[in-house]
Amino acid sequence: MTKYIIKRLLGMIPTILIIITLSFFIVRIAPGGPFDGERVLTEAVRRNIEARYHFDEPLVKQYARYMFDVLRGDLGPSYKYKDHDVNYLIGNSLPNSIVLGSMAMAVALVFGISLGITAAVKQNTILDYFPMCLAALGLSVPLFVVAPLLQQIFSMQLHWFPTTGWFMTTGGGGWKTAVLPTIALSFAYYADIARLTRSSMLETLRSDYIRTAKAKGMKNSTIIFKHAMKGAMLPVVSYLGPAFAGILTGSIVVEQVFTIPGLGKFFVQSSFNRDYTLIVGVVIVYSIILVIMNFIVDIVYAQLDPRITYK
Amino acid sequence: MKLFKKKKMVATNEFNQTVEGTSLTKEAWKRLRKNKMAVVGMVVVIIYALLAIFADALPLYPYDEAITQHQNLRPSLTRSAGELMLEQRLKNIYFQAWRNGELAVSEEDDARIREWVQESRTNAVWDLVYKYGEEARANGTFEFSRSAQRQIDRMLEDIENDIQITVNHLYAYDADGERYEVANADYQTLLNLYSTLLNVEPSLVETTLRNEVRTSVSNQVRANDETLEGEDLEAAVELEMDALGEEGYQERATQNLVGYIMQLARREAERDVSAQNSEGTITFPYKGSFELSSGMTAEIEASKMHERRYYLGTDYLGRDLLSRIIYGGQISIAIGLVGTIASFVIGILVGSLAGYLGGRVDYYLMRFVDIMYGLPYMLLVIICMAIFGRNILNLFLALALVSWLTIARMVRGQIMSLKNQEYVEAARSMGASTFHIILRHMIPNSLSVIIVYSTIRIPAFIMQESFLSFLGLGVQAPYASWGSLIGDAVSSMTLYPYKLIAPSVVMVVFLFAMNFFGDGLRDAFDPQSKNQL
Repeated sequence: MTKYIIKRLLGMIPTILIIITLSFFIVRIAPGGPFDGERVLTEAVRRNIEARYHFDEPLVKQYARYMFDVLRGDLGPSYKYKDHDVNYLIGNSLPNSIVLGSMAMAVALVFGISLGITAAVKQNTILDYFPMCLAALGLSVPLFVVAPLLQQIFSMQLHWFPTTGWFMTTGGGGWKTAVLPTIALSFAYYADIARLTRSSMLETLRSDYIRTAKAKGMKNSTIIFKHAMKGAMLPVVSYLGPAFAGILTGSIVVEQVFTIPGLGKFFVQSSFNRDYTLIVGVVIVYSIILVIMNFIVDIVYAQLDPRITYK
Repeated sequence: MKLFKKKKMVATNEFNQTVEGTSLTKEAWKRLRKNKMAVVGMVVVIIYALLAIFADALPLYPYDEAITQHQNLRPSLTRSAGELMLEQRLKNIYFQAWRNGELAVSEEDDARIREWVQESRTNAVWDLVYKYGEEARANGTFEFSRSAQRQIDRMLEDIENDIQITVNHLYAYDADGERYEVANADYQTLLNLYSTLLNVEPSLVETTLRNEVRTSVSNQVRANDETLEGEDLEAAVELEMDALGEEGYQERATQNLVGYIMQLARREAERDVSAQNSEGTITFPYKGSFELSSGMTAEIEASKMHERRYYLGTDYLGRDLLSRIIYGGQISIAIGLVGTIASFVIGILVGSLAGYLGGRVDYYLMRFVDIMYGLPYMLLVIICMAIFGRNILNLFLALALVSWLTIARMVRGQIMSLKNQEYVEAARSMGASTFHIILRHMIPNSLSVIIVYSTIRIPAFIMQESFLSFLGLGVQAPYASWGSLIGDAVSSMTLYPYKLIAPSVVMVVFLFAMNFFGDGLRDAFDPQSKNQL
């Protein structure tokens, strides 16, 4: 197992290097740059700016410098926000996104798994139909419809929750601001997780070892939670990797609709501004989060499934 | 699959009776028909597809035609744009009157309106005030102020007289009385026609045209390189003009000429039609050829502008929402299809190569796929859009480039499992090439699974496209897609909820149908499927 973990850890390195390399070339190839303003620059000013961004050095040296900087954790200066570097901008907004994403993931997991299991155990009852209808809805209603609708209904009409704001910013309102964004973001993932849990649970409940356990006269709850659950959770765990990626991108929409000062909003803004260093910085950060999440998911999967041997 | 069968083989049993085998497709179709939800889904999908394909033939208003007076009209099945415009104007007038204390409202409602104004529930305020206003006017207790009356009168007059004309084709006659279409005519003919219409010397028109073309070239040069100035600019423009040549000039000038003549004709048609309208010799909507007083013939469509009906309302620029939703559906569905097909082709190519060749090729290709999997997929698409420009073609490319991964993996798995089957071995021993084996034997055998998977992917593509368009990174104006329609509506959803609801419902219904249809297809082709997500 330790060996497997080390191997997977080493396997993450080329992925991250490729991401950084890609990012470097994207910034180099992209048309427009920090000095493509409205004014025409004089030669001297232009040379000064080039020197500041190290554009006067040979490409290999620039690449080495960029790679070294990123590995050290320095994502460089922003092209558009001259007062701050990318690190500062990301550092300020990332926690908001991470909190939002984790809350959504947690809600999706809790509701998805519990309702999925209930649906499988009480198959063809109202406890099956209702959560599954909701899940079918979640699969077909895009996030950018859910978020405005929730806002319209619960904050504009019913006034239960504030329309915008975020509890982590100063003066942003209380915990209530977190409710609607979390629900909106988790809805689609609740749907997937509930459907997955239900189908894999149904399949596990039909297997021989469960019948044996029943024949031995075990309590129903023990069978479900101790025997069936472990096997049934495998597809859900392997789904978590893509789900994290989806939640990262999905939070862009939620942040836009509920005006949460997160990373996603920055990302969209910077792609409109053509602020390449910021875009690329965000992508590097997101990719690394994603790579780490995939790694964790793999380890959990290996832990859960004793049938797979890792050499 | 029928597609790949060369000739029909007839199997006979020992009594020489033909034995009809059921193919996978037939069997699957039978299973699909039993699944009611899937059939409903299929029907809905087909209806959408037909609407999208034949959108041009439907009696819709052009999706990019903005009429300023028709901004933000409510959806209405029975009332025309003019009536809605008038109603909106009256609401504003009544509201002003209530503010100035000229419109009497019961104490209780007065408090309610004040509260609503505080909460900016504009629609509720308008409706209530309108109700009071109409009642008061019927009772004779309320009269419009002079300026309000003038506004209303002018609007009524506009509603009566404003005519919308589209010139579809324009024909003129040459010296021999021969008829030709203006849009297809050559430079010299158009030059003569335009100068006769304007009653000036052709040489004068030509000089103007040359200057115009030069200006547009110079603008282009300047847009490409902002640093050029003075003599450098002159030189660069001169160079461009030389490159353009006489032919290039004529081409551009012809375009300009056609535009001018059409504009002239439209103005003339407007004048003539209004003249006939005031005489009452024309009925609306009018469609057909129309003799212009300058001697040209135009195929026109004329309608009273404010008699239009917007069944789903209009957007903030006064464009018909129904037509935008249908044309937006066209784009959304097209992107779903093209993205699927592109990812399908790339995925099959990579997957089958990796699966069949194995070894090092397989290792590197699959490593590459693994790494791509680790990247945040939508963010890559957004970067592509940001760098290479936001247009539909780039959207297609960006989506296709990053979406073939799963299909490649699937095809690889299929091919690996088929690789050691006897028939492949037989083909190989007969000397078939790798390419032939992959193309003729393996891909057809794994095609049904792949096609089914692709169907399931279409809604995902549509969602992704709409996601980008919602953020403003996808389809750009004047085109629409469901996502961009929803995105446009979000900012004003309190005031105009219908703008959000209509495209959302249309999109959700389609995705619903598509999901059920895809699931049904999968169950039909692969009933043992464990992958129930």
